[in-house]
Amino acid sequence: MDEQADNSDLGALASPGHAADAAVATAADVSDVELVSRAGAGDEPAFEELFNRHRRRVSLIAGRFFRQREQIEEIVQESFMKAYFALPDFANGQENSFASWIARIAFNACYDELRRLKRRPEGAASGDISEEEEAWLKSQLRSAGAGADVEAAAIARDLADKLLARLSPEDRLLLVMLDVEGMSVAEIGASNKWSISKVKVRAHRARASLRRVLERFV
Amino acid sequence: MIGKHNKGETSERLERLGRAIVRVSAEANEAEAEAVAASPFLYARLRTRINAEAERRAGGETWLTLLGVFWRSVPAMALIAVFAFVLFWTSSLGTTTTTSPGVLSDEAFMDARDAGIESVVFAERRPLSSDDVLATILREDEREVSR
Repeated sequence: MDEQADNSDLGALASPGHAADAAVATAADVSDVELVSRAGAGDEPAFEELFNRHRRRVSLIAGRFFRQREQIEEIVQESFMKAYFALPDFANGQENSFASWIARIAFNACYDELRRLKRRPEGAASGDISEEEEAWLKSQLRSAGAGADVEAAAIARDLADKLLARLSPEDRLLLVMLDVEGMSVAEIGASNKWSISKVKVRAHRARASLRRVLERFV
Repeated sequence: MIGKHNKGETSERLERLGRAIVRVSAEANEAEAEAVAASPFLYARLRTRINAEAERRAGGETWLTLLGVFWRSVPAMALIAVFAFVLFWTSSLGTTTTTSPGVLSDEAFMDARDAGIESVVFAERRPLSSDDVLATILREDEREVSR
């Protein structure tokens, strides 16, 4: 019964026609906060609109940590499912931005998955670095512009994954947040519910861990 | 001085290379992530998963509710069990006192329960037979006739 109602609502939103166009236009105009309150009240198209607005961002966050398409999709589904059941928390909490809230959920989902993989015996064992990769890494470290042409090298992708697999999930999460997402210390603190000093200390340790991993090849 | 300078330079190179490696690893999958985001049935799959999770949670809630009811009823059931045990114990004690033919208590000798009412107390361990009763009645009749 409910499913039929849901389908009819979705159909009304997606089907061609003046009323449907008007509904889509209305849904596109309203803010995330308004959509959250509607979705929390059981408005299915409102949640779908939220999903469509933020699916790309969540996919990109998952792609920062995982290579396989199934893993990325798993993180996307997990994040939005958690968000769906936690919508009342968002509505009652101090959150102002749904985008930052869903990003935080996605980062947490990635962190949980990294920890899960690390616990598994096959996940804990990071791939061995080949002689070719080791030689390339040494040449990079010897050159004055170390890291300058890393992004252009095809060899770097696999090697980067192998090296980062040797870090702890916490260190990896923090380094991605800092160096890839460009998040500030305050933003990371708010995201992980850590104090600013804790973020600084952890960032320092994460960089030291990565340096130690690289030093083995110097 | 030179060694210190070299160490600092190496550390700086490691730092730069580390950042570059993190960026490469993170940005290598952007195309894959974009493909996932553009997947046409992604929402349908999410919806199915949400429904399954909602059912699972509802099942869990029912089970928890039953567990809660059971948990709350434990003290009441324990009280009833204690009361039933006490009742059974006292009644069995009473039965032992009144029905055992061979055992005679002080209460039976003193006739404390039925004070003021004449009653016969048999101190023998052997229970009375029908012949004994008949002989007693006949003896009483003969005694009355002889008077």
